[in-house]
Order: sequence, then C-alpha cells, then structure tokens
Amino acid sequence: MRTRRIFLILSGFAALAALMPSSVWAQAGQDANFIKDVGDRLVGIVNGSGTEAEKRPHLQQVVDSSVDVDGIARFCLGRFWRDATPEQQQQYVQLFHEVLLNNIMGHLGEYRGVRFTINHSERRGEGEVVNTTVTRPGQAPADVNWVVANVNGSPRIVDVIAEGTSLRLTQRSDYASYLARNGNNVQALISAMRRQVQQQQTG
Amino acid sequence: MRPLMNHILPIAFLLGLLAGCAKQPPASEPEALEEYRQTNDPLEPTNRVFYAINDKLDTYILRPVAVGYRKVVPERVRTGVHNVLQNLATPIRLADDMAQGRPRRAGDTTMRFLINTTVGVVGIFDFAKNWGYPAHDSDAGMAFALWGIPAGPFLFLPVLGPSSPRDAAGFGTDIVLDPFTWLGQGAATTAFGWSRYVTSAVDERSRHIDDVDSIKKTALDPYATFRSLYRQHRESQIRNAAEDHRATVPVWFAQPAR
Repeated sequence: MRTRRIFLILSGFAALAALMPSSVWAQAGQDANFIKDVGDRLVGIVNGSGTEAEKRPHLQQVVDSSVDVDGIARFCLGRFWRDATPEQQQQYVQLFHEVLLNNIMGHLGEYRGVRFTINHSERRGEGEVVNTTVTRPGQAPADVNWVVANVNGSPRIVDVIAEGTSLRLTQRSDYASYLARNGNNVQALISAMRRQVQQQQTG
Repeated sequence: MRPLMNHILPIAFLLGLLAGCAKQPPASEPEALEEYRQTNDPLEPTNRVFYAINDKLDTYILRPVAVGYRKVVPERVRTGVHNVLQNLATPIRLADDMAQGRPRRAGDTTMRFLINTTVGVVGIFDFAKNWGYPAHDSDAGMAFALWGIPAGPFLFLPVLGPSSPRDAAGFGTDIVLDPFTWLGQGAATTAFGWSRYVTSAVDERSRHIDDVDSIKKTALDPYATFRSLYRQHRESQIRNAAEDHRATVPVWFAQPAR
C-alpha cells in the first residue's frame, strides 16, 4: 500500500510537471491568438471600404482596446514623467493618444493590401514576443515583433519592433532629445505635440 | 568604386578635425549624465551640421530623383536593378560572412551568386531566395562588431549619413575588399564605378521614400529619431548574424536540428 501511495504521489507530481510547460505554452498561444485577432481587425479596417474619416473611430476602438497607450506614453516620457505636474501628465497622455492615432492614420494609404502571417512567439523579458511577417504590395516583407504584456489582467500590446527597431524606444529618444534642446521643459514638449496635432488636423 | 575612395574617405577623416563637442552634464545630475552616456553622441553639434547639409542635399537632389525613378520606372525593372546591384556586391559580402565566422551565411552568399548570376541572368532575377538561399545583411562593420569592437560614438557623415567609427571603418574596408575597386583602369571603369554608386544611391533612396517622409513629418527631432533608428537597426543586424548558429554538416551526415 505504502509504495502504491508513493507511486500515486509521484505520478501526481509527474502529471503536474507535464502540465506546467503546457500551461506556459497555452499562455504563449493565447498571446499569438490575441495578435492574430488584433491584426485581423486592423487589416480589415485598412483594406476595407470607407473614407479615412469613417475608418478613424474603428481604428481608435481597436487601438484603445488592444494597445497599452497610457503605459507607452509614460515610458516615452522617461525620467521627465516624475518632473511633470499631474495636469501636465494628463495633457501629455491625452496628446499622446491623438498623436499615435494620427500617425497610424497617416500610414493608412500605404498599407492598403497589407497581409500578415504569425510565425512564432516566445517569452522575453517583460512579456510575450509574437513574431509576424507583414507583407504589402511592392515592398519587401517586413519582420515585425509585437510585445504583449499583461496590463491589469488583460493582454495589451506594449511595443512594436519593426525590423529590429522598437517604436517606443525610438519615440522616447525623440522626446528626450527635444526636451534636452528645450531646457528639459515638459511644457515645451506638450506645446510641440499640440502644434503637431493641429497641423495633422488641418492637413 | 575608385572615385569613392579618392573623394569621400578623406572627407570622412576630416570629420575628426572639425569636431565640436556636446556639453556633458555635471555629476550632480546622475540621470542626465546616464542619458548622455547612452546617447553616446559627443560630436552632436558637428553631427547636426552634417545632418542639416545632408538633409538639404536629400530634399533638393536625391529625394526628387528617387521619386521620379519610382514614378517612371516600372516596379519589375526596379526590382531587377536592385537585384543586379545586390549581386555585384556578393564578393564583398562573402568575405564579410567569412570574417564574421558564419560558414552557413558564406554558403548562402556563394549559392546566391552562382544561381543568380547564371539562372538569374547576371543577377536580374533572385531565384536563389526561393530555393533556400535567402539574402541577409553582411558588411565589414558587422564583422568588427562580432570581433568585439564597440561601435563608438555616433557619427553623421557627409553624404553617407548615420554611422560610427566602427561602421565607417567597415565601409572603407568593404571598398578595399571590393574586386571592382581594383579592376582595370581608364574611363570605362571610372564610369562604371560612378554609375554603380549613383544607381545604388537612387535605388536605396527609392526604397525608403515613405519611411523617411513619415519620420520627418512625425518626429519632433528627426536627427535624434534617425540616430536611434540607425543604432537599433544596426544592433539587430549584428544580433541576427551572431545568433545564426546553423552548423555546417556534410549532407551525408545526420543533420542536427536547427
């Protein structure tokens, strides 16, 4: 009896051990599915009919529900986030949302006919990196990694790494350099972003 | 390629003499100091001058030519031109693959050259890509990186654009390694060298019109954005080469898992 019980316990552990990697694997699969879902929705909007003005709210909905824009905004301000007053933080994040959406809208035309395939995903640092190949007509296929992290209990895109270049790192160095050349004044950055949004709106 | 050697490299070396220096933050501001070190751009004022000059050259000469090229020449022909230029660069790429200690990459490069030069009609068609020999990036700067030589501070070179001491040295090395640099003399060779250089520049620029336009439009500081993009792209090229551990096993042996 005794050996039998030990055997049962041991086999229980073995079963657990066998389950562990598969649950990790299930997590990876979930994030790949999440990116597949988000990607399909984006491709649907980009390639779908309708004017840019009609597409904007749909795009905004996809971005708001799948991208951790607030987190990326904080990351891009770096050490200046702490220097900013609560009002400045709020203005900045709001402008960041608009700038991001405008930038995506600006690329809508070039991405017509876009397709993507999911290759593999792996755990790296803070999140799951889902590797995809993005193909658009007349362009070489691009290698794009989507970094997915768990933000308040749901998967969110926290970075996009296109051909080895991280979008949020690039944006952060842009802002850092602008701040360095404008007396490290967060208000100057906010004004510049506001001008940018106004320019993008007028054409 | 001889004109390149004669004209551009001396200008590149002059850079060091002209350099102005960026101000280093005091030790009392550790975060600013850390940022300064990470940016690693002590020659920023000089670099920005060259960036401004290049930007003007690009806006008024190179970009319009590239836009015209893309408008007038059909996509198939442009792809063919691009492929021929890439094929002409295979001898240098092979040397660089070997210098990087990447035998499988050297094999890919060799097969690409053999297939595309023959079946692909002097490189116009890239058949090798679909036959299991995809293109990869390779240059002497990457080899230096794999040997453990650090990139050093950021450089923005006249005409050539973003670089570093390591990558600029790699650029010069590749010119020396290029058989076309040493092939023959006279007007025909010089004309070939220049037309190849100019075509390469137009080809390369025409492939990045939208990207560069959008960066200039959306970045608050395009110089800093290009600097960051260049560095990240370079690091990823080097990482891809470093992580290419495919073994060289004779076909009659059991093949290891990739």
